[in-house]
Amino acid sequence: MSVLVVSCVARTCLGDDAETFAALLRGECGVSSLRHFPARQLNVTSGYQLPRQRGEPAPYAGSWLAGCVTEAVRRAGLDPNRQRVAVLAGTGLRELRAVERWALDGGAVCLEDLHFTGPVRRAAPGVTSVLTLSNACSAGGYALALGQDLLELGEADAVVVAAADTMTESMLAMIGRFADEPADRVRPFDSGRPGVLLGEGAAAAVLVPEGEAAVPPVARMLATGLSCDAHHETAPDPDGIRRAMAGAFERAGRAAREVDVVYAHGTGTVLNDPAEAAVLTDVFGSDGAGPLVTAVKGAVGHTSGTSALTSLAMAVHSLRAGVVPPVVGLREPLGEGRGLRLVRDRPRSADVRLAQINAFGFGGVNAVSLIAGPP
Amino acid sequence: MTGAATVAVTGYGLHLPDADLTADFPFLAGRIPPGRACPPDQAHVILGRKGLLGKDAATRLALCAVHGALRLAPGAARPAGPPDPGTAVVVSSNLGNVASVVDTARSAREGGRRAISPLAVPNASSNVVASTVAIWFRLGGPNVMVCSGATSGLDAVALGTLMLRAGRARRVVVVGTEPADDDALALYRERTVPASPLRAGAACVVLEPDGPPGTPRLGLVRTERWPANAPSRSRLVSWLDGAAGSELDLAGMCGDLYGAAGVALVALAAGLSGHPGADGVVEVECGDGADGGRAAAVRAAGEDGPGG
Repeated sequence: MSVLVVSCVARTCLGDDAETFAALLRGECGVSSLRHFPARQLNVTSGYQLPRQRGEPAPYAGSWLAGCVTEAVRRAGLDPNRQRVAVLAGTGLRELRAVERWALDGGAVCLEDLHFTGPVRRAAPGVTSVLTLSNACSAGGYALALGQDLLELGEADAVVVAAADTMTESMLAMIGRFADEPADRVRPFDSGRPGVLLGEGAAAAVLVPEGEAAVPPVARMLATGLSCDAHHETAPDPDGIRRAMAGAFERAGRAAREVDVVYAHGTGTVLNDPAEAAVLTDVFGSDGAGPLVTAVKGAVGHTSGTSALTSLAMAVHSLRAGVVPPVVGLREPLGEGRGLRLVRDRPRSADVRLAQINAFGFGGVNAVSLIAGPP
Repeated sequence: MTGAATVAVTGYGLHLPDADLTADFPFLAGRIPPGRACPPDQAHVILGRKGLLGKDAATRLALCAVHGALRLAPGAARPAGPPDPGTAVVVSSNLGNVASVVDTARSAREGGRRAISPLAVPNASSNVVASTVAIWFRLGGPNVMVCSGATSGLDAVALGTLMLRAGRARRVVVVGTEPADDDALALYRERTVPASPLRAGAACVVLEPDGPPGTPRLGLVRTERWPANAPSRSRLVSWLDGAAGSELDLAGMCGDLYGAAGVALVALAAGLSGHPGADGVVEVECGDGADGGRAAAVRAAGEDGPGG
């Protein structure tokens, strides 16, 4: 079975989804000096941050999420007062930044700010349930999977799958704790990658059952495979990643050889990139016949729980435009990636019919999604 | 994907250090260990000593509840071997890693990055409880962390049912857990709706498509619209023996388990099953005016009841 993606919007440090895709094609990198945090002390001096709009109320993640939900619902022509619309909001760090400010700086917070029910209900009054899924860096992918399940089992007429993340001082401190030198930018799959940097962002997509689209769909959501490594809290395990990919192919009824492009997780860390590259090589082979492989984090940073939906938005543009952006920041691929068709330096034109989106998170939580062009 | 709309509750566990459960809920006598459950810093009594270093309170409580729900004796070794890809984990907690996040940020401010313990690294991510349950008990299926406020426990139960029906797992371990450390208590005081005081505790239910005859069955979790000024509520109403409903106000009796409440209610409803006269429907609900309400029905089967 499959469902339709009738709208998909994203917001990154490079702009909205169309602006971000155009910037990716130009090879732009959205990194800047880290603002709003004690950078030197954290040993993290750069980040991929969204501008704070004048008058934009904190906490920010909920506000960005609400903006994307409003736009996705509008573009999809949904009426939550007349249809059963469920919302799944993915996030890595929730509004824990607001909690830090409350605990350390005397900022104001209310308990309900921790999750996204309030901002979503204000953005889309009438929605049935709002669930906040805090599934680390694969939260958006998990939301896609469970959203499709809700539709296929008839538990909702439409599902808004959304995600948002800001940065927290605690997560930045963890990144800085293990870095010899602060990274200046993210370089996915590069042999000399300096490590990960966080990105801020939000995204939302509306899914409806086949035949139920009020507007022309932008893609078909085939399936998402889910797994948990059950191996280590922070280090990825190739077996778990492999199981999520196999699950996606099985649920979609597709074969690996049909994939035209992979939007990889590609965090630019010591651990993720070799593990992911090795599994991709395993699954797709290294004979040059495999899919093109790209990754967005060199341009927009690691947007944590929003990562899968950021990649989804870019993959939708690839389906439409027949072009795959390069891995921004990639100079010389790491050893494990030498057999992959990593897109480097400039965009590649391609007849993209089937795209794969990888998202892996802390705790070994993996989500692999497959999308195809609209019917 | 046409799974049945009800699922079997094949196991349950309750780990509430501040309540004397068998005294408060006599129907649990003989089904859970008597007396008060151990606090998080004594979790090694249930779980053994190895592997608990650096684990936060919510995680320790959760592991204890799962240990009980899987019918492992206190101190019994946990499973070993490769992860079981057929068992999924869904955990609900709102405050689980709040203290860790605040501690880490504070340490970095005061002592620089070297002041941060590497053991605290996983706790910066809110899904640490769910992934730790998976690693501890070798559960390799989908792994979901729900942080949805007052409805979160029943949201987790709803996702557990969904994953069984969607064929993503053949067994789902659903857990709710909340700590009551100083940071959690302080943040809980910033709640905008009237509520009972926060209590630490964890609960677990094991869901499967079917169970042996007499196994309680759980219906689909429903979403309810509650008025914006509705106070926090977590309660169970039983309609046993066809008699008028008797209400059990969990928050009133034990304090508010917040994100753990929905799971604890389903566990209690399952605990009612198998008792003489327990042949009937138990309604559970949790939520508040800010987050809305969630409700579900558990069909508790008596000794001679139809069960599944």
